[in-house]
Amino acid sequence: MSPFSLLGEPMKALEIRGLKKSYGDFLALKGIDLAVEEGEVFALLGPNGAGKTTLIRILAEGLGYDSGEIAVFGEPLSKRTARLIGYAPQASVAYDLLTVEENLRFYADLYDAPKERVKKLILEFSLPAKKKARELSGGFKRRLNLAIALLYEPRLLILDEPSAGLDVPSRRELWSLIMRLRKEGRTVLLATHYMEEAEALADRVAIMNEGRVIAVGTPDELKSLAGEGSVIHVEGILKGTELVRKEFPRTIEREGTLRIGVEEAKTALPRVVELLVEAGSEIRTIRVEEPTLEDVFLKLTGRGLE
Amino acid sequence: MKVRAIKAIIGKDLRETRRERMALFWIFVFPLMWITLLGGIWGGHNPPITVDVGVVYFNESAPFTAADIVNVMENVTMEGVHVFKVRGYPNESAGVDAVRAGRIDVLLVFPKGFGENVLSGLQAEVYAYFDRSDPQNYQIVSGVIKGFFSEFAKEMTERRLNITLGYMEKYVPADAMGNFTVADLKRYMLGLTNPLELEEREVKGEAPSAIQFYVTSFIGIQFLFATMLMIGSGTLEEIEHGTLRRIAASPATAWDFLIGKMLSTFIVITVSIVIGIVYAKLVFGETVFPSALGWLIIFLAAVFSMSLGLAIAMGTRSIKATNAIVNLISMPLLFLAGVVIPESVLPEWARPIANYFPLGTALRNLRLLELYHRLPNEIMPQVAWVAVSAFGMLLVAVALYNWAVRRLS
Repeated sequence: MSPFSLLGEPMKALEIRGLKKSYGDFLALKGIDLAVEEGEVFALLGPNGAGKTTLIRILAEGLGYDSGEIAVFGEPLSKRTARLIGYAPQASVAYDLLTVEENLRFYADLYDAPKERVKKLILEFSLPAKKKARELSGGFKRRLNLAIALLYEPRLLILDEPSAGLDVPSRRELWSLIMRLRKEGRTVLLATHYMEEAEALADRVAIMNEGRVIAVGTPDELKSLAGEGSVIHVEGILKGTELVRKEFPRTIEREGTLRIGVEEAKTALPRVVELLVEAGSEIRTIRVEEPTLEDVFLKLTGRGLE
Repeated sequence: MKVRAIKAIIGKDLRETRRERMALFWIFVFPLMWITLLGGIWGGHNPPITVDVGVVYFNESAPFTAADIVNVMENVTMEGVHVFKVRGYPNESAGVDAVRAGRIDVLLVFPKGFGENVLSGLQAEVYAYFDRSDPQNYQIVSGVIKGFFSEFAKEMTERRLNITLGYMEKYVPADAMGNFTVADLKRYMLGLTNPLELEEREVKGEAPSAIQFYVTSFIGIQFLFATMLMIGSGTLEEIEHGTLRRIAASPATAWDFLIGKMLSTFIVITVSIVIGIVYAKLVFGETVFPSALGWLIIFLAAVFSMSLGLAIAMGTRSIKATNAIVNLISMPLLFLAGVVIPESVLPEWARPIANYFPLGTALRNLRLLELYHRLPNEIMPQVAWVAVSAFGMLLVAVALYNWAVRRLS
């Protein structure tokens, strides 16, 4: 495959064309087209099973694919481009019995990275150098994964579900680290199923569903796809949600909350309250919000992100 | 090949091994326990065998009776140990029952008139009952009993001759003797009754001690268990933990990983073997220090063992299944490949296993070289066989490893 940055266009950090991948009869990626600009944070947003991890494993772990073309900074994806890509998978890649410093040294040797990077990253990420990896909290394990991915100063950093399973403070700390990387001008591709994460971190977002990219744009551009209108957010002990969904199809129910996409909140709000109260709900809070990326996803696919 | 990556994998594996208590136990403590146990049981000086003898004899008033022979038997010692433990039985059938039940090794029945026959110069008969169901025990017991009676008969022959010659000296006229002297006659008659005389002469043998044998057994055990399991389960852990995928995605190649993994395993096994060797020297005062060729044999056996372990692990891709299969292969081989039991006492059908299974061959030739001081050229064909097997198994393991890595992708 020849490098395929189009004539006259600036070189992309990552360019994917017509990428297809199947597992037996199951088509996991059904023709992905994507371009990530250098220096941007690009999020792949989609529910579990959308194909995000498959795409990331093709890019970062050399997972084979059926057809399509991939170029990293203009070079076809290969073992040679491995050093251009830093990858922090969702699961820890640290060896439990080694200390943080030993883990970093091991990967530095594997990637032939300068030894000074180890000390620098320990300081930069405030990592406990002498602690064994198995003694680290979930948040520190993610930080270590991130530090390992940055050891050889890759030009493209790929993060798979960077904050999945973390508590809120750890998630915020990790986000601030990623934002710092963005400020440093590093290109970041992150896969997430948390729309808050994509909204908070990404310059552009690709929404994926069932092996396809169904929309790409900045968060604001995507939110505009949700159309005119607002979202009514209801919390409490809710009954009669089916009746609400029947009348307002853009309704998502999750863990005692309802998000209802409506054209005009002023007229829809009394009707929603009426339906819920009549069904015996105990409403704790109710508020009107701007649409989120999840609402966009709902509008595009007819279902929620989780 | 990336030397820095290989060194990183070796260093990482060694650190992990040092910090894994269970691994330390199985690699270092268990083999030492093994040497201590076997050395403690069989490592000391072997005392002479004691034979349980049952006797049936009849009270006689003659000056020499069966009781006198029994008395002699009871007093035969070797290195301060009584060779015969004698107990009397009232009759033949009670004694035979005791043989059948294994309470005694042999029953000697001295029939009536035994003493009289001995004294009157006639042939005296003794009946010996052996249990021949255990050929090895029968060989030992009958050998000891026949040896005793042979010595006893020789002694009697000489005494009878002396008595006879005494009479001849006294009553036969000197001219009737011709050119023969009494001494000539005695030599001649001794030759008639005892045409072959076996004279024992002691030689300090070079046969290995039990401790030396078990030090080499311990090396064999390392090949059969630790080496195979270490590399097999170590690689599977990397697969399960997701780190092999991470390594595979790095600039390091599959070969870098494999070489690093094998070298780290070999280093651990070598350290373990050296500890065992030194331990035997410190505790039992004896050991085996392999020569350069000995270490080459150890290296080749380790390559075979590691390759087999890796092939099993990559074939099953499950730590539990790998452990089960390694145990399934190694447990019988522990005995059948001559690892803990000398090949000489193995049944005939098991000997080809010890001869041709590469780990058995390696161990046998290591023993021939280090314990029996065979010349290198005498064992070279067998060493070549081990080398070829190790290389062949390595190719199989690499093929399976590549297949497993491809499946990961």
